Amino acid sequence: MAFAISALIFFASRLSPIDPINALISPDAAADPANLERLRQELGLNDHIVIQYLHWLKELAVGNFGYSIQSGQKISEILALRMPATLELVLSALILSTVLALTLGLLAGAHRGGIADKISRVLAVIGIAVPDFFIGLALLNIFAYHLGWLPTGQRLSPGQITFWDRLPHLILPVATLTIAMVAVLIRYTRNSVLDTLNRDFVKTARSKGVPEWKVLYSHVFRNSLGPVMVILAFRLPLLVGGSILVETVFQWPGIGSTVIAAVSASDFPVIMVISMIIAMVILVSSFLVDIVKSILDPRVRLGGGAS
Amino acid sequence: MIKKKSVGEKQPSTLRIFGRNFLHNVPGMTGLLIIGVMIVGAIFAIPLSGHNPDYIDPINSRLAPGWGHLMGTDQLGRDMLSRVLYGARQSIYIGVLASLLANLIGTVLGAVAGYLGGKFDTIVLRISELVMTFPQLILVLIAVSLLGQGINNVILIFSLTGWMTTFRLVRGEFFSLREEAFVEADRAFGFSKSRIIFRHLLPNTLSPIVVAFTVNIAIYIIAEAGLSFLGLGVPITTPTWGNLLAAAQSPVVVNEYWWLWVFPALSIVIFVLGVNFIGDGLRDVLDPRQRTASVGSTFKQSLFGKFGRKR
Repeated sequence: MAFAISALIFFASRLSPIDPINALISPDAAADPANLERLRQELGLNDHIVIQYLHWLKELAVGNFGYSIQSGQKISEILALRMPATLELVLSALILSTVLALTLGLLAGAHRGGIADKISRVLAVIGIAVPDFFIGLALLNIFAYHLGWLPTGQRLSPGQITFWDRLPHLILPVATLTIAMVAVLIRYTRNSVLDTLNRDFVKTARSKGVPEWKVLYSHVFRNSLGPVMVILAFRLPLLVGGSILVETVFQWPGIGSTVIAAVSASDFPVIMVISMIIAMVILVSSFLVDIVKSILDPRVRLGGGAS
Repeated sequence: MIKKKSVGEKQPSTLRIFGRNFLHNVPGMTGLLIIGVMIVGAIFAIPLSGHNPDYIDPINSRLAPGWGHLMGTDQLGRDMLSRVLYGARQSIYIGVLASLLANLIGTVLGAVAGYLGGKFDTIVLRISELVMTFPQLILVLIAVSLLGQGINNVILIFSLTGWMTTFRLVRGEFFSLREEAFVEADRAFGFSKSRIIFRHLLPNTLSPIVVAFTVNIAIYIIAEAGLSFLGLGVPITTPTWGNLLAAAQSPVVVNEYWWLWVFPALSIVIFVLGVNFIGDGLRDVLDPRQRTASVGSTFKQSLFGKFGRKR
């Protein structure tokens, strides 16, 4: 799978009608074809495409990602600079939205028509119909500009480095991503909880006199997690995609803004490496979800039929 | 219909039953009403707003919404209402066409793969898995950097990166349908594969495809907005909802000129809600199985009726 992805990315980038050499060379030097030819030779652009691909793969494997056409910087350096910012954003949103969705979903399922159920219904509509960057803009307008409670963007204010200085910057972008992510997740959790509540073992537990909170927590909740985890894995690409937009709204110096700059400048080495990394992260996380699922549900581990 | 009359009993056609059920479907009709109003607004953009969307009037720039300009004016003094209505044309065009193309690709591939199975099925399935590994936005960005910007490129890219859900849907349907007795009969008659697939099997899977088509329109309109917001979608000279929203890239606009981005965004939200309502209605009418599929939804329905509908 990983190889197929890398091949797809590589050959797609080579389909481009734009000659990457043009972005590298000053217009004066480009006037002389000999210069162009020499540079091509140096960059290995004249080799057969399969050899170029294998070469690129080899370099990727040893951690040499090549150079950005746009700035001439090492891509690994750009990544080292930008990656933590995006990870900070996406991971906090992931954790927050999962915790929130599971709690609210459980409550909504357990007390149908209650407050949690109503909140989840409103959130679901928002999540479906409102583009995530609009949520971001609205939050920005209200909380940063009009109320002035939170900073308007960027990851850090100048001269501030402690965790408590960073936190306010993180709140709005994470809230945006969380709202977008949590909406669908809540509905799935709720439906899954409802399905589980209807099962026989819940009735058995209740009739045995197990306290209601214990029924909910150890019987219903654990058993309804499986389907939710699957949805979580499916939503992950959307979260990463959403973070690109949200980073733009909040001028967050992460991978997303790097990708956009690279796309507008047809900086293919950067685009290739970043999409490669994102695909890998998603592959690994779907693998992790499988593991978590098998921990939660021993039937999967034994290879027996899932419910 | 004539055939059925000759049987004796007057039996309305399936299509008419669907139509009548849809007329009584509250969310479906609400959605249809919303979308209808918006489409009419887009068609009569100029007489309705009384302004030309491209007319530059620097003296009246950045006017707040008021009687002359219901949605205010932008930095160049262009009337926002007419720009939003004009944007509707482009955005709806992109959404509908992209969804149509994506569903076409997905349906054809899904039908053929589902019926034939074997190697072709495996290959297409692998490709769809491959494409689905990426966040769609990343794929679209890569494709935009390859093909360049433009309305038709955006449509093409959306359909090439969005066919997988329909493909899986149709493939699954065909998997179960191809074992049915009438298909066996078809084979025994010696009908060609393409005739069995497209004339006999496809009409049976039309309902979920129609629902997917509706819902996809909403998804693509949001996607267009996101892409144009980043400045990578439709060229900025064409007003689409996304391009109008792109004005909000500047902090000053977000802060002081709220009408420049709130109105296009609201149009997107309302349109997408409308489309989803229609999708819900269609699902109720065309695909009753979906309603009774999960225990949870039947359970909910018996308790609250329409209220707890699965969404």
